[in-house]
Amino acid sequence: MEERIEERAEAKPRSLTALQEQLIWALLGSGLSRDVLVQAIGELQRDRSSTGGERGERGDGESSEEGEMDFPPPIFRELEKLSPEETAKLRAEVDRLLQEDPWHVAKIVKSYMQQHNLPQREVVESTGLNQSHLSQHLNKGTPMKNQKRASLYTWYVKKQCEISQQFTNAKHGLASAEEQGEETRKGRRNRFKWGPASLQILFHAYERQKNPSKEEREGLVEDCNRAECHQRGVSSSQLAGLGSNLVTEVRVYNWFANRRKEEAFRHKLALDTPFTNQSASSSHHNIPPSPEHVLWGLTSCFPGVKYSQQILCDAVSSARGSVGERVGRLVVSPAQLEPSHTLLETHNPKLVSSGGPLPPVSTLTSLHSLSASPASSQGLIMASLPSVMSLGESSLLIGLASSQAKSVPVINNVGGGFTTLQPISFQQQLHGSSQQPISHQLQSHMGASPFMATMAQLPCHMYNKSDSPQYHTVPSSLLSQAMVITEGSSLGTLTSLTAVRQILTADPEELTDSPLQEDSLHMQPQTPVPVSSESLELYPVSQTTESHQSHILSPSPTDIGSYIPTQMVSTAQ
Amino acid sequence: MAGKIQSLSEEERAHLLPLLRNAQWVEVGTRDAIYKEFIFKDFNQAFGFMSRVALQAEKMDHHPEWFNVYNKVQITLSTHDCGGLSQRDITMATFIDQASLM
Repeated sequence: MEERIEERAEAKPRSLTALQEQLIWALLGSGLSRDVLVQAIGELQRDRSSTGGERGERGDGESSEEGEMDFPPPIFRELEKLSPEETAKLRAEVDRLLQEDPWHVAKIVKSYMQQHNLPQREVVESTGLNQSHLSQHLNKGTPMKNQKRASLYTWYVKKQCEISQQFTNAKHGLASAEEQGEETRKGRRNRFKWGPASLQILFHAYERQKNPSKEEREGLVEDCNRAECHQRGVSSSQLAGLGSNLVTEVRVYNWFANRRKEEAFRHKLALDTPFTNQSASSSHHNIPPSPEHVLWGLTSCFPGVKYSQQILCDAVSSARGSVGERVGRLVVSPAQLEPSHTLLETHNPKLVSSGGPLPPVSTLTSLHSLSASPASSQGLIMASLPSVMSLGESSLLIGLASSQAKSVPVINNVGGGFTTLQPISFQQQLHGSSQQPISHQLQSHMGASPFMATMAQLPCHMYNKSDSPQYHTVPSSLLSQAMVITEGSSLGTLTSLTAVRQILTADPEELTDSPLQEDSLHMQPQTPVPVSSESLELYPVSQTTESHQSHILSPSPTDIGSYIPTQMVSTAQ
Repeated sequence: MAGKIQSLSEEERAHLLPLLRNAQWVEVGTRDAIYKEFIFKDFNQAFGFMSRVALQAEKMDHHPEWFNVYNKVQITLSTHDCGGLSQRDITMATFIDQASLM
């Protein structure tokens, strides 16, 4: 098009009168760029025709789309810019595609979109197709009627023209191309998206250095853009064609900043979650002293924060469907499961597991929605905790299943579980009377949670190491879940409780494997109880026994800081 | 329009008017204004010129008094707000001269 106008100008207007030419030059000289002018023409014409009700003016290619699609305006605009010849060409191409096998063409279109990182939203906006239907058609081959396919292919053909124009216009300057590509889309730019090639480059660079200088970033910008051009089969430095997916230095800067934040967050979660510190060797450094204490065994068990988090994430994701079986597992890294690992395990398949770094807010909120499952008593305490799972049958499992290593479905939040506890409002607010020694804590807040009952016994157990018998006396049903929640950071206090033990396996079956481990009851670190009480509260429920496996974690509302998440002691099985 | 525009001071006049006179702008006797007549090859050229001037006038929010017959354009510049010449007139005159050469 560009060429055409120039041709006309040079060849003395065949189609333009002298005055028209003069006027055009006047317009162009008044600060209007050619592109703005052309677009304005399209808009004006469209507006006029729509108000005038002249539907017939619609461009050929789009007319079908619009007529069938309730006149979606967006594509219309572009059509106006095309000459009749081009419209005819487009149409022919669209028809050709319509003859082909729809699935085959769908694959072509999809791969084109991936290659150029085009969002589906753009297609939906300009074709009026339903996004879900479009997605299914492109990804799975769900059938689509011919009329709709025609509009899709029309968009596709036009997009190809546009993109190739953008690439050629790059020679003439980025600005015009960008304008063309972006302003035509209802004045909204497509959201930038990192392409896979660029991401690879960035991750490599991140491994080398987390905080690149401006020069390094600029280098990365070049590399990424080059890679993206290659991916699109275009020569490097025809950057305009990348359009809204052009990599800029600001984007690189933001990417690095976000990765650093992610890492800091993961680290923070690791620090905050006592559970995650299992292996003495590996995790020690991750956990501050007091939590370590509390965890006693956990530290040795947990592989390292990161690792466990990974596990958590993985486990969680895989646990979704199989939560049941994992119920009894402790979150902590399987290998390390040793008695006295307490992990919060979410039983609820719905637990959110964020594969990578935990987004501070999102996972929490999603967890919050987990509802306590039917299982007994829900006291969904930690429901909102990411790591806390719904009570479901197993309420929280904390700690590792003693003997079993494995499966720690741990929900990835375990690490973050504690920290997350804080903001979450627990259903049952157990009042942590810090002053009271754990043993006395029979919190009636808990309401009738069965587990409370068991809890009651726990304290005793806790303190007396030998409680195996007692331990078993605990209602057979499942573990008595002693929830020990440490408020604030006084993990130390937990230690005193030794209640930290863990394991709560919701399923009795699982427990059978490793009948309560007595050992686990013994807190390895018999640390003098520094605290007392403040933080740990066992909720000894008055009711006993049995079984409820509900795990209730009721954190002290505010201080949860490092909670020692509930410890569920599995009594029995 | 923004606040009251000021007409040119004596110094400015002494400085600028000679330049305009060189460009064939004449001072109108009866009022504080400047005038010039442009002749073009044909109406199209003339009107093209006028279009350019018109667009600029809109941009500056300062409009000339003009008359056109076929290829002739007569323009008088003055500022109504101050009843005489102002800096805007000078700017516009300069622009008009440029536009007439395009």
